[in-house]
Amino acid sequence: MALRAANFCFSISRDFMQDVNVVVVFDSTDGATEKLALAAAVGAVQGRANIRLRRSSGTPESREYVVPREADAVWADAVISGCRSECGFESLEAFAAGKLVGKVGSALRQGAGNAGIYGAMCGAGFVTIPVAPGGADELECARMQGRRVAEMARALKNTPSVS
Amino acid sequence: MITIRRSNERGHADQGWLNSWHTFSFANYHDPAHMGFRALRVINDDRIAPGKGFGAHAHRDMEIITYVLEGSLAHKDSMGERHVIGPNTIQAMSAGTGIVHSEFNPSENEPVHLLQLWIEPAMEDVTPSYQQISFSPEEKTGRLRLLAGPHKDSEASAVIHQDARVYASELGAGQTLNQPLAAGRYGWVQVAHGSIIVNGQHLGEGDGAAVADERVLSLAGDGPAGGEFLLFDLA
Repeated sequence: MALRAANFCFSISRDFMQDVNVVVVFDSTDGATEKLALAAAVGAVQGRANIRLRRSSGTPESREYVVPREADAVWADAVISGCRSECGFESLEAFAAGKLVGKVGSALRQGAGNAGIYGAMCGAGFVTIPVAPGGADELECARMQGRRVAEMARALKNTPSVS
Repeated sequence: MITIRRSNERGHADQGWLNSWHTFSFANYHDPAHMGFRALRVINDDRIAPGKGFGAHAHRDMEIITYVLEGSLAHKDSMGERHVIGPNTIQAMSAGTGIVHSEFNPSENEPVHLLQLWIEPAMEDVTPSYQQISFSPEEKTGRLRLLAGPHKDSEASAVIHQDARVYASELGAGQTLNQPLAAGRYGWVQVAHGSIIVNGQHLGEGDGAAVADERVLSLAGDGPAGGEFLLFDLA
């Protein structure tokens, strides 16, 4: 009974937190990047986000992943990109139309290869979050980043506008 | 008391590649009168076309059991598990703090027919896990074959984070078995194939029955060929 009561209180308190939506996008067909993308998605889920995994155009559309669409751009509060040189949303109208301003953006892994991702995100008005060092390995780092991005996105979403 | 949920009263979604019957509310089918039964939250009766399936998606805090009736299903998840399962196999996933997985019909020409069961866990934030156990068809013939329960059992079965037991059974025409239901326990019977009789009530393919305040379930195979069903023993 005590456990039930605790769960009840927990679900009540959770209802006050806004749902936060995270899109993890990558463009590689190699299994290593996919694993990192899955780890980031799991981290975001641990941060109680809804997630979508997308593989951006440039690679064959697989059974498991569709390419990012306009609806994903609208849906996302945050985007985590594991693409090689861009953020993965460039081909979408929303990107060019400035509709991504204020969304949270992050790369999937640490490294110098992120310049293209962060450049594109800054240009589109994302609030970018650097990939924090930490974790036993790259997978753990991606998981922690997924969680951090979900939490940051929620914090931003729950902050009332002062204007 | 036995309350029957007829096959054709269930929620139905035909997306071409996926033909799904929902015993309880699921996705776009929402009926406040059918949100689940005790800890049993979802029974989806799915037929997936060859080569089609569910792309990568997430789950949290749910015990997810997949029971294939015909065909095969390829599973891939964020824990690194990659398997193809077929009939007479228990697949149980504890989503806990979060998992991402995909499920596809790997066949080029055969559809897959499966039951997917979601049971709400008794606690949140458990470490995600994957269990898969195969058994021979004889183990469910004329008797209850335990698929999942709250503890390790002498019969190899999945351990789930809920005081619930799930059994599979196949009864030939006229074949019977009696299963006691402890005081305060509830049952759900779901017919996978053929037809059966539960405490005098006829259940056909896809029918379900909620059982309350009964101390014994008298189960019998009906019709020309009997039937296969799942039995849930719930707190």
